Amino acid sequence: MNHLANIIQKELKELLTPGAIMSVVVMVVLFSILGGLIGGEVDKAQTLPSIGVVGSGHGDLTIEDGGVDWNLYETLESIYGSSIPSDAEVGDYLIKLDDFDGDFDRLKDMMSQNDLACALIVPDDFALCISEGRPATLTQFYIYEPEGMFGSISSTVVTSIASMLNTSLSKELLMGPTEGNPLFYSNPIAFGGDNDCTMINGEVHNGILPSDIAGEISSQTMIIPIVIMILITMIGSLVISSIGSEKENKTLETLLTLPIKRTTIVTGKIIAAAVVGIIYGVAYMIGMGMYMGSLTGTMGSGVNLEDLGLSLDAFDYLLVMVSLFLSISCALGLCMILGGFAKNYKSAQTMTMPLSILAMIPMFIIMFSGWYGAGPFIQGIVFAIPFSHPMMAMEALMYGDVGLVLSGIAYMMVFAVATIAITVKLYNSDILITGLNQNRTYQKLTGKK
Amino acid sequence: MTDALVLKDVRKSYGNTEAVHGISLTVKEGEIFGLIGHNGAGKTTTLRMISTLLRITSGSISVYGHDVETDSKGVREIISYLPEDAGAYKDLTGRAYLDFIARFFADGDERKRMVEKGIALADLGERIDSKVDTYSKGMMRRLLIARAVMPSPKLAIMDEVTSGLDVVNAYEIREIIRGIARDGVTVIMSSHNMFEVDMLCDRVGIINHGDLIGLGTPDELKREYGVDTLEEVFVKAVKG
Repeated sequence: MNHLANIIQKELKELLTPGAIMSVVVMVVLFSILGGLIGGEVDKAQTLPSIGVVGSGHGDLTIEDGGVDWNLYETLESIYGSSIPSDAEVGDYLIKLDDFDGDFDRLKDMMSQNDLACALIVPDDFALCISEGRPATLTQFYIYEPEGMFGSISSTVVTSIASMLNTSLSKELLMGPTEGNPLFYSNPIAFGGDNDCTMINGEVHNGILPSDIAGEISSQTMIIPIVIMILITMIGSLVISSIGSEKENKTLETLLTLPIKRTTIVTGKIIAAAVVGIIYGVAYMIGMGMYMGSLTGTMGSGVNLEDLGLSLDAFDYLLVMVSLFLSISCALGLCMILGGFAKNYKSAQTMTMPLSILAMIPMFIIMFSGWYGAGPFIQGIVFAIPFSHPMMAMEALMYGDVGLVLSGIAYMMVFAVATIAITVKLYNSDILITGLNQNRTYQKLTGKK
Repeated sequence: MTDALVLKDVRKSYGNTEAVHGISLTVKEGEIFGLIGHNGAGKTTTLRMISTLLRITSGSISVYGHDVETDSKGVREIISYLPEDAGAYKDLTGRAYLDFIARFFADGDERKRMVEKGIALADLGERIDSKVDTYSKGMMRRLLIARAVMPSPKLAIMDEVTSGLDVVNAYEIREIIRGIARDGVTVIMSSHNMFEVDMLCDRVGIINHGDLIGLGTPDELKREYGVDTLEEVFVKAVKG
């Protein structure tokens, strides 16, 4: 055999271990699932939102003298008719709502019953304003629901639909006699500014769109899942490599025969890894914070979340810290178990893969879909992974969802205690020396079958 | 003489396979006891059970009256185990490594004295302050022997202690072992070097496929098998 081919064959045999191949397969599956998840979220967000039209005859505008015969609702029907899928009906997206007489709670109920993303409120003086050559103000009303990175796109879509309404009415008016301010004819309907409003936790806030809130929250919390993922992966790598290295250098056997408790060895390794991991984590947090800060102009919307009742108090921060501490404890417990099975430094590197995957799954889901935007199945997966909880704690607490954070803390406490108990049991067993498959170890030692 | 180590019908199974089949033996205080056997015979498994690294499946092991199963911490306080091909923490210097180990046994001045003893035993000169990963195999072994002997254990357990060493290093390490035995330390060691075992050990146990098939002083064994060397004893014993 060619010498080069011989070397390549040997190297490939060493590099392409079943563990390495499995890692590649898992990564491909993981990214395809995440791709589907993100694609689904984008499709969902770009779908035309369901709109309810309310007030003043649902936008009927007939100006006999000016020869204007235009109807807002019918125009919307026409816009939707050319944009919705062929098997859908306009009625699935557009609904005429009853008057709400300024009672936003009633409007909210009507929207919830009809599963509407937005209500377009036509003012009583809509026709009068247009007939007098003054822009009529159309109000967009939303109920804010936290739905991850793409969840707020619907409000952006509604804004563009409103712009299409403006264009349609403008064309209609320009077909008749034009007098007065020419700017009126290009923009007969006024949108945006303080007219639009969003209901957050039962309170109506003017001049705010869901996309503004989502942008601001995203700019403040998006860094957290990334930093936690890096922190978990880093701590995991440190702990597992430390144990793998001890096995490879045959220092573990010496350590285990010294007059110290096994729990002391386990605790010592855990604390040292936690200290180094936290130093790395803080460094990454500062670095990422500076990086994200430079993007604030494009990501943040300048909305003051405190004014919207979406800020955190001291108790909330305490819960976030507890959640983070427990998550790190779970990671360390899991790493000590995985490290126990590492045969040497090289196999220890492979052992970090499951941990990295477990940290990446919630990071991607929380960043792109969010806990609240995910379905029950995905939520179950995210909840079961202990590293998810500090990733979503801050956002959950902003929405006042203390129950989710507390239940996550309770779950992580059970998980951490269980993993540490398993670790101590593992360190008191033969597995640390002989490996998992004792028969195979014996066969390797003796050459017997 | 006090019984330093007592093994009674010790068995060890890995899954469904029994690797050690009921070994019984006693090692007296201050004795150098050698375990010989082919690769995979059960020597390392036996030494690991004595040093509390592996749980025994059945039977009992007692080290100076401390049971390895029920009082493993008590056992670890009086033993020193030196595994085959053992290493040290590569980022530490020889001195720092000895100090790291000494901290598990003593504090203050006693710890300093222990480290100085270790440095003298290792006899590495100025290289004691070099990083461990720059040591040759002989230097590493001297450091590890020093580490094992430095805390003055009552029982030193040494697996293939001179394996792979040159003549001079092997000789010096054997001298260290002889010296600690003179000071009253009991030693149980395994080796494939029959010449070494013959010279060093007071008594020898032969293990074959997990069974103890021979036990006695080197001279007793030679007489029993009617041969002149321990090597011939071993070959005759294992080949039946």
